[in-house]
Amino acid sequence: MGQTDGTIVRADLVAALAAIPGSAPVEERGAGLWISAPRLDVEAMAREMKALGCRLVTMTGLACDDGETTIIYHYALHHDTINFKTATSGNAIRSIALLVRPASWSEREIHDFFATDFIGHPNLVPLIRPPELKDGFFRDPDPGSITPDKP
Amino acid sequence: MPYTIPIGPFHPALEEPYKVNVKCVAETVQQVSVDVGFSFRGIELMAQRREWVPDVTLIERVCGICSNVHAMTFCHAAEQIAGIEVPARARYIRTVISELERLHSHLLWAGLAAEFMGFQTLFMEVFTLREQVMDLLETISGNRVNYGMNRIGGVNRDIMDPKSAIDTVQAMAKVIEKDVVPAFMNNITAKGRMGGVGPLTKEHAIEWAVVGPVARASGLAIDVRDDHPYLAYQELGFKIVTQPEGDVRARVVVRALELLESIRLITEALNNLPSGPLRAFEGMPAIPPGEAVVLTEAPRGEVVYYVASDGGRTPARVKIRTPSFVNIPALEAMTMGQQLGNISLIQASVDPCLSCTDR
Repeated sequence: MGQTDGTIVRADLVAALAAIPGSAPVEERGAGLWISAPRLDVEAMAREMKALGCRLVTMTGLACDDGETTIIYHYALHHDTINFKTATSGNAIRSIALLVRPASWSEREIHDFFATDFIGHPNLVPLIRPPELKDGFFRDPDPGSITPDKP
Repeated sequence: MPYTIPIGPFHPALEEPYKVNVKCVAETVQQVSVDVGFSFRGIELMAQRREWVPDVTLIERVCGICSNVHAMTFCHAAEQIAGIEVPARARYIRTVISELERLHSHLLWAGLAAEFMGFQTLFMEVFTLREQVMDLLETISGNRVNYGMNRIGGVNRDIMDPKSAIDTVQAMAKVIEKDVVPAFMNNITAKGRMGGVGPLTKEHAIEWAVVGPVARASGLAIDVRDDHPYLAYQELGFKIVTQPEGDVRARVVVRALELLESIRLITEALNNLPSGPLRAFEGMPAIPPGEAVVLTEAPRGEVVYYVASDGGRTPARVKIRTPSFVNIPALEAMTMGQQLGNISLIQASVDPCLSCTDR
C-alpha cells in the first residue's frame, strides 16, 4: 500500500475520508482522489482535513441547470490531491472560512460568480466582481452585454 | 489615537492596482485588509465561450510574467482529460521554458527588491541578467513575453541551438553566484534592511496556506515540482530550496538560490534533450467528457487548474487558482506589529501579481 507521506498510509487516508459525515466512497481518478458527496457535512470535512494535515488548495464552483451550484473543495497532502464534490441546497452551503483561512477568498469568489450563499461567512462582500455586474454573472448567458449605468 | 491609511489602489512602484488598508497606532501596524478586483478581465468565463485551441492563447494572457505556465497547465489538463501522452522532447522543452520563465520572474523581482531597498547598483546588475534571459526566450520562441510555445499535445517550436542556450545560462550562473547571491545573503545593507522584517512563521504559513517561495522561506518544503512531479523534473532531479526565518530576507534568499537551481535544470534538460517529435499529433482531437485537476509550480508558487469538458467544442469549466490569490491575503499576518514604513517592502516580498489574482 502506497504512502502519502511518512505517517499516513493511503488506506488509512481513504478510510478517514470515507468516514467524514455525509461522505461517499473514495474514487482514485487521474492524479487524485475524488469523493462525490452531495450531502457532505462541509464543516466536519474541514475539521477532519485540518486534523489530517491537508491544505485547502482552492474551491471550484460549477453552475447547475436547476440553479444550484456544485462546489469542489480541492485539497493537497504531500503527493496526493483530494477533491470533495458536493452541492448547495437553495444555492446555499455552510461556510468553512472561520475554520480554514484560505476558504474566505474562495467563497467570496464563488459568491461573485454564482451568487452562492456561504452561510456563516464573516464578510461575504464582492472580491473581484466588477460593480456593474450582479452576483452570479457566470450564470448569465451574456454578461458582457451589461454596461455600467450612465451618471 | 489609531488611524487608517489607504495604500493604493495605485502604487508608485507596482504597475498593477490593489488596495491595502492599514490601521496604525503611531508607526505600528495594528490591522491590514486587502482589496483586489481592480483588473478583473473575466478570463475564466471567456475561456468557457471559446474553443480549446484559441483558449491556449487566451489563457497565456492571465499573466505577463508567468504566461507560459498558464498555457502549459491548461494544455496539461486537456491532455489529461483526453489521455494524450506528450512526446519526451516536448516535455523537456516545456521544462526549459518553464525554468527560463522562473529565471525571468525571479530576476525581475530581485531587481525590484534591490530598488525598494535603495541598492541601485544591484538593481542594474540584476536587470542586465534579466535582459539576457528575455533575449534567450526571444531567440527560442520569437517573443519576449507570451512565448506561444505550448499547444495541446506538445509544443509549437523546437530549441534549435541548445549549446548556445547552455552557454548563455552558464555565463549568467557565474554572475549570479559571484555577485547576486552574495549581495542578497551577505551584504550589510541588504541584511540590515530585510532581516526580521515582515515575518511569517511556519505555523502562520500553514494557517494561511501560502505557496511558492513565500512558503519555502517560512521553512515549508512544498514545491509542486517535488510533490507532484510533472514534465521532466523527476528525470532531472530537483533540489528544493527552503529557509527557516520567514522574513523578507528569507524570501529574497530563497528566490536567489532558486535561480541557480533553475539554471542547473535548464542545463541538464538541454544536455539531455531527447530526440523525437514535438507533438503527439497534428491538428486538434476532440476532448472527451471528463475533468482534471492539474498543479504546476509557477515562479510565484503553485498554480491550480480545474478543467471540465462535456465533449463540446469549448471547455465546460476552466477554474484558475494562481499563487498570488493565496499569498496576498497572508500580508495580514506578515504586517501585524510591523513599522508602517516597511509595508512597501513587505508587500513586495510576496511578489504579488494582480493580473493573475483578478484574471
